[in-house]
Amino acid sequence: MAAEGGKAALWRGGQEMVPDLAELCRIHEVGLDLIERSHDVDELLNRVLEEYERRLRELPGDALDGRAGKPGPESVRKLRALVMFATQAAALKEKAVAASELKRRAAEAESHRARLEGVLGALGSGVMILGAGGETLMANAAARALLGGEDEAVLARLIADGVPPRGEAEIDLPSKEGSRRTLVVSRRPLGSGEGAEVALVTDVTQRARDLEERVRLEKLAEVLRTLSVLSHKINNPLTALLGRAQILQAHRGTDPGVAKAAAVIEESSLRIAELIRELARVVKEGRHEALDDLLDMDQTVGGGRAS
Amino acid sequence: MSVTAIRMEGVLRLGFEGVDAIDAVNAEVLKDEALSRVGEAAEFVVDLSGVEFVDSAGVGVLVALFKTARRNGGRARFCRISAGVRAVLEIIRLDQIFEIYEDWEDAVRA
Repeated sequence: MAAEGGKAALWRGGQEMVPDLAELCRIHEVGLDLIERSHDVDELLNRVLEEYERRLRELPGDALDGRAGKPGPESVRKLRALVMFATQAAALKEKAVAASELKRRAAEAESHRARLEGVLGALGSGVMILGAGGETLMANAAARALLGGEDEAVLARLIADGVPPRGEAEIDLPSKEGSRRTLVVSRRPLGSGEGAEVALVTDVTQRARDLEERVRLEKLAEVLRTLSVLSHKINNPLTALLGRAQILQAHRGTDPGVAKAAAVIEESSLRIAELIRELARVVKEGRHEALDDLLDMDQTVGGGRAS
Repeated sequence: MSVTAIRMEGVLRLGFEGVDAIDAVNAEVLKDEALSRVGEAAEFVVDLSGVEFVDSAGVGVLVALFKTARRNGGRARFCRISAGVRAVLEIIRLDQIFEIYEDWEDAVRA
C-alpha cells in the first residue's frame, strides 16, 4: 500500500517526481543498505547504472518500440521505473562529475603544496607561513632547525610581538643550552588577501658574535696603542732617574742612608724599565694574552715590593 | 554488420557499419564486438550515424559502453544520433546521462 502511494506521488499530473534514493530503493526493492553505506558517488552511480541495466533487460519489447503499437500497462509501469532510475543516475552523474573535479583540484593543490614544500625545504633560510592570527601554518626545515626543538608557537609569538608588519627586526632567542641565538626576521604579506604572512628567518648569531669580537679587538688595539705611547713617555724620565741614581751611588760618601736610598731608586728604576720592555713586547706582538701575563707579572712585582 | 574502431587525434572512434537498428536481434553480438574493440580505452566516441532505431536491448549496448568508459577511468561520448534513437534516449532519460554531440569534431573537442 505504501509502495502504491509512493508510485502515485511519483506520477502526479503526468510529471514524474524524483523521490530520494532511499524511497526509490524501497519501492523497487534495491539493496538499499549497500547503497546507503557507500559514500563514494562514483560507486553509487555505478550501482544505480547496474540496476538500470537490469531493469532495461526486463523491459518488455513493446515498451520502447513505437512500431509495436501502444505499450501495455506492465510495459508502462516498468518504463516509468526505469525513467526514475535514469533521473536518479543523472543527478548522481552530476555529483560524480563535480566530485571528480573537486578531487582533481585537490590533487592539483596537493601537488602544488608538495612542490612548494620541496622548494621551501631546499632553502637555507628559515621560512614560516603565519596565519592571520599569527599562528604558524607552516615552517620549513631550516626554520625548524633554527628553533632547535622549540615550539614554533614561541617564535610565532615573538614575531607577532616584536617584528612590525612589512618590517624587519632582530630577535634574541634563548636556547635550551643556555646560550642565546640572534635571529633576523622580516615579515611580508602573502598577497592572498587573507591576512597570512610569510616570515623569513635568518640566524645571525655568528654574525653578531663576529661583530662583538671585532669591537673587542678594536678596543684592545686602542689600549695597546695607548700603552705604546705611555711606554715611550715613561721611558725618557726613567732613564734620567736611573742615571741620577747611579751618580748618587758614586757620590754616596759615608752616609749609609743615602747609599740605601740610591740603591732602592736604582732597583725600582730597573724594575720599571723591565716592565716597560714587557709592555713594548706586548704592544709589538699585539696579543691580549700577553697583556694578561703582563698584568699577572705586575701583581707579582707589586707583591714583591710589598714583601 | 560490424563495429569499426578508428583511433583519431588520440581518441577511439567506434562506428556501427551496416547497422540500421540495434535491437534484441543483434544487440548481444554488437555489444561483445564493441566492448572488445574498446578494450582498456578510457576515452572514446560512439558514432551512431546510420542507426535509426534502438530498443531496450540496443540501449543496453550503449549503457554498457558508457559504463566501460567509466570503469576504465574515462568517458564515452555519443555523436551523430538519429531522431529515432534520440527519442528513445529522451524517453528513458539517458539523454541526461550520456554526453551527446552533434558531430565527431565536437565530441573529440569536448
